Amino acid sequence: MYVLEGIWIALQQVWAHKLKSAFTLIGVIIGITFLIAVITVVEGMNRYVQEDFAGSLFGINTFTVVRRSQISTGSETEERRRRQARNPNLTLHDVDVISAAVPEAWRLAYNSDRGFDEVSYKERRRRNVRLIGGSDGYEALQGWDVEIGRGLTPLDQRRGLKVVVIGSEIADRLFPDVDPVGKQIRIGAHRFNVVGVWESQGGMFGVIRDASILMPFSVYRQTFARNPSEVDEISVKMRSMEEMEAAQIAVEGAMRTDRELRPGQENDFWLQTSSELLDTWDKIVKILFAAIPGLVSISLVVGGIVIMNIMLLSVAGRIQEIGIRKAVGARRRDILIQFLSESATLSVVGAGIGIVFGIGIGKGVEAFTPMPASVPVWGIAVALTLGILVGVGSGLYPAYRAAKQDPIVALRSE
Amino acid sequence: MNGEQGMQTNGNEVIIETHNLKKLYQMGSETIHALAGVDMQIRRNEYIAIMGPSGSGKSTLMNLIGCLDTPTEGEYVLNGTPVQGLDDDELARIRNREIGFVFQTFNLLPRASALHNVELPLIYAGVSSKVRQEKAKNALARVDLADRTHHKPNELSGGQRQRVAIARALVNDPSIVLADEPTGNLDSKTSEEIMSVFDELHSEGQTIIMVTHEHDIVGHAERVVTLRDGLIESHDARADGLL
Ligand SMILES: Nc1ncnc2c1ncn2[C@@H]1O[C@H](COP(=O)(O)OP(=O)(O)OP(=O)(O)O)[C@@H](O)[C@H]1O
Ligand SMILES: [Mg+2]
Repeated sequence: MYVLEGIWIALQQVWAHKLKSAFTLIGVIIGITFLIAVITVVEGMNRYVQEDFAGSLFGINTFTVVRRSQISTGSETEERRRRQARNPNLTLHDVDVISAAVPEAWRLAYNSDRGFDEVSYKERRRRNVRLIGGSDGYEALQGWDVEIGRGLTPLDQRRGLKVVVIGSEIADRLFPDVDPVGKQIRIGAHRFNVVGVWESQGGMFGVIRDASILMPFSVYRQTFARNPSEVDEISVKMRSMEEMEAAQIAVEGAMRTDRELRPGQENDFWLQTSSELLDTWDKIVKILFAAIPGLVSISLVVGGIVIMNIMLLSVAGRIQEIGIRKAVGARRRDILIQFLSESATLSVVGAGIGIVFGIGIGKGVEAFTPMPASVPVWGIAVALTLGILVGVGSGLYPAYRAAKQDPIVALRSE
Repeated sequence: MNGEQGMQTNGNEVIIETHNLKKLYQMGSETIHALAGVDMQIRRNEYIAIMGPSGSGKSTLMNLIGCLDTPTEGEYVLNGTPVQGLDDDELARIRNREIGFVFQTFNLLPRASALHNVELPLIYAGVSSKVRQEKAKNALARVDLADRTHHKPNELSGGQRQRVAIARALVNDPSIVLADEPTGNLDSKTSEEIMSVFDELHSEGQTIIMVTHEHDIVGHAERVVTLRDGLIESHDARADGLL
């Protein structure tokens, strides 16, 4: 009951002195705001990367052979980056080598792509698109589905037809109120027939699919490739993780043999997997989460010291109250609990404000940047627990001072 | 120390018994005998006035009887329980259950309502909120403040504040009510009102010990104990008449 008494007194005081309380609690508020904001954004990213991004960008059980690593992990040396820059281009010959190495591949496809300035339909334009020339089966390997119309067929590929499937953002921009299927769009000097529109992917990395235009590889090569013999990516999809790992080894061996690399010599190509990406992300998350405790605990310690001072002042100003309570039967522990509840309540109020601010910042980030936010329950639990701990910790000494007051002395004080 | 035989009480049991009770303060090299060895017996339902000049040890005696303070020496038995040697928490429990204190300066929690002030002892007795409210309201009704339950002390007159304090002292059905100059901060008319409240409590069977300076107030008590220099000077029964 003195717990309730303490909580009640604390809430009344916070309410009666809002500005003073805000200053009192500022350390806790800042610490918890920061904690929740970071957790919210990181957790949002984390979910996104694990659930959507890795799967949709690379596909499951899929690996890709590229000329050089496209993901900068920060851990690779400048030296290695320079060496990779000398790697030879991938060609259709490499496609043959790889498909011979993994005849059991579930899917195998290759593609080249480039950014392109502008596409148009009549007067309407869309800038900054990505043109992809994909081999037969590229869409299936990527797991892309069409929303309207159809995807590319083997026939489109074989005949080298000037047909495209466009991303949803492009469709929305060029065809705000007509069905895009069957319409002709201009890409540079060329005209292409739209046969379908991809399902929108949305989200932070949706730009990759939603702003892309896919055409048969042969058409891309003749029309847009800077270097016609070049293939940017060769992707292999297997049925399971184990199969994928075995296939990676087989592909690596076949490529090395074909390129006559000596043992000990480094690969002059790069194998990229979704797990490589996840590893990189994990590293970033680890660094972020490693930095949180330091920053948060500094502000919480400062916040705790401020609360302790306020509580000491509060105890000093309420000696007579303590005397009265003791005179009517409060034991030491009753007084102790009352003041501990009071400081814990103060601190939890601060933590609560911090949680609200933190979520606000997370949601703000979500609204104004492409980064998603997600508030995990454990984050709120951690924040509240920290609030209680800081409150109890900083209240201990003041509450002890209050509890050990002699009732006679306390009653006499004015 | 020969007043006992003159007592007009109706053979009730002794609830307070002190033997050679002493309270000493060491001030530098000097020892102050605030109480220099007090023997007294108080029976249930007695109404006792304690008098004596300033500094004679009246408040010191009240604080010892009320278990707010501990004696330097001597014995004190309250309701059959030897109180000397009890620890802080046990004393707090006795204050909570057995004693109701009324102070000269009221000693109410300034930010709390009359009702909450009266509830306070019940809170520390672990009484549930519902029963607490009911008992506190009853106690306020007994001192004619049923219509002031939600007033804060600064919204009440001095006499009303002291009545809230009396309600707080009564709410736990204590064995004794101790009042240390309860009318010291009140004008004479209000003092009379407060005294009649005590008279009424006494007529309902409450044991009361009251410190007072004012002779006309002594008229309400059954027995007058006079202190001087920390010792009992006289133990007069009302019949002997002091005035
Ligand atoms: N904490 C203390 N330290 C030192 N001396 C004290 C202390 N408390 C009381 N005394 C002394 O003990 C003696 C008795 O004090 P007490 O308060 O009991 O007197 P009193 O009879 O209540 O006087 P008054 O009528 O003025 O209230 C006084 O001489 C006082 O100075
Ligand atoms: Mg006194």
